[in-house]
Amino acid sequence: MINKDVVIIGGGAAGLAAAVACREKGIEDILIIERESNLGGILKQCIHDGFGLIKFQHSYTGPEYAQKYIDQVQEHGIEFLLDSMVIDITSQKVLTVVNKSGLKKYRAKSIILAMGCRERTRGAIGIPGTRPAGIYTAGVAQNLINIHNYMIGKEVVILGSGDIGLIMARRLMLEGAIVKMVLELLPYGSGLPRNFNQCLADYDIPLHLNHTVIDIKGQKRIEAITMAKVDSKGKVIESTCQEISCDTLLLSVGLIPENELSKMAGIQLDPLTGGALVDEYGQTTINGIFTCGNVLQVHDIVDNVSLEAEHIANGVERYLSSLLKPKNSIKIEIGPGLRYVLPQHIQYLDDTVFSFRVKKPGNKKQIIFRNDNRIIKKKSFIRVNPAEMIRIKLTSSELSDIKHLKVELN
Amino acid sequence: MKKEFVCIVCPNSCRITAEYDGWEIKHIEGAQCKKGEEFIRNEIKNPLRIFTGSVKCKNGNYQLVSVKTNKPIPKKYMKQVAQKTHELVLEAPVEIGQVIISDILGQHADLVATRKVKEKN
Repeated sequence: MINKDVVIIGGGAAGLAAAVACREKGIEDILIIERESNLGGILKQCIHDGFGLIKFQHSYTGPEYAQKYIDQVQEHGIEFLLDSMVIDITSQKVLTVVNKSGLKKYRAKSIILAMGCRERTRGAIGIPGTRPAGIYTAGVAQNLINIHNYMIGKEVVILGSGDIGLIMARRLMLEGAIVKMVLELLPYGSGLPRNFNQCLADYDIPLHLNHTVIDIKGQKRIEAITMAKVDSKGKVIESTCQEISCDTLLLSVGLIPENELSKMAGIQLDPLTGGALVDEYGQTTINGIFTCGNVLQVHDIVDNVSLEAEHIANGVERYLSSLLKPKNSIKIEIGPGLRYVLPQHIQYLDDTVFSFRVKKPGNKKQIIFRNDNRIIKKKSFIRVNPAEMIRIKLTSSELSDIKHLKVELN
Repeated sequence: MKKEFVCIVCPNSCRITAEYDGWEIKHIEGAQCKKGEEFIRNEIKNPLRIFTGSVKCKNGNYQLVSVKTNKPIPKKYMKQVAQKTHELVLEAPVEIGQVIISDILGQHADLVATRKVKEKN
């Protein structure tokens, strides 16, 4: 058994930023465990630009953004294991790790869960039809094209308008494929508005809202899909069925936080986010186990992942110094119009960043934090969009004598 | 004419309305910053984009070096730049920022590496 002060599971955007922030707060004994052969996580394959505008006021590509943190990890001499998989965590913070050299056990004073998320697949949305080759999730396609130099097809239909699907539409066009269309079940797009502009409009790729795929044809390789319009309740309108030939179908239909290890440790999850239930320091229902990044909530911007990871490092440092003492546990109430609010409860009443998403797009909206009838904070938005996470900070003085806290959208 | 644009400069994705006649811009509204206004001026006259893509690489710990133009270039050249990236083969090691093609297509921008690729052990 090897003892560590902090073990970080995952060497992607969240894990790297958490490691650097912990070291900068004076924590010496840190270990990052990464299952792939290189640090950087999903950023490695996100070769498009637009990363770092909030954090660095500069637009970087994914590999450049990751390298900034990898360099810092190396300069600080932070220990990391590659090609290593955590296969078990206990509530006592004992981790079992497997890699080429065998099985090792670590006992950590504190653990940071930074495992990221994975993609929803065809199975998750239940598209009927045959099961031929040529159906990929957008992120897998991105990995094959940008890392493995493997082109995935020539005539592509994309189902779902998440950001990775939009980014891949442009990438495929530039790599010589034809993207015939993007279909979206909802009446609005799921990705960031700027991506509809620079990835679809720039390349004349049509976006069909309120449309889905209801059948897949082809034996060895996909040959066609059947698209159909859906009504306001999401029910297929049979008369609108249309067959579209294609040799590739990309799915960009959502991301799921990867919390198998969290469950193994007995951490309570929030069904609204798919991530852990946390306090204002990202501490889970097990004291000393913290979480950040896409395993906590799916982010749209990596800068917010870094900021979240840096913030929870404060909690880790205070936990290790036995300074994390609850004052008053307050459960956050979610008002109508919001899909979720993080953290789910606060207990130290320190400065807290609340992050949340709205249920549907809207114009001229207000977010209100209230303690019964008293308004604690109010912020106006020209528009709100489920694709864009909202982050609002409340200071310890704003939170000082509250008994309840409700977040509302008006 | 009057047209609404979605700014791509940052995640705010501002909806900016511009009134213009040919290349003459009469009024711009809705940009939360100066960069947004500049983006719209370009969008009307000569839309600019950063190109990102990848180039093959031999003897490296990655098979591909990701690349970008270090400045935005006219949108109409995107496919031609992509074609250039398909024709090249690099040798590891490659450093971030290393110039792969200088002054690409005479557009006063360099194609530079965005991934560090080490020599294969």
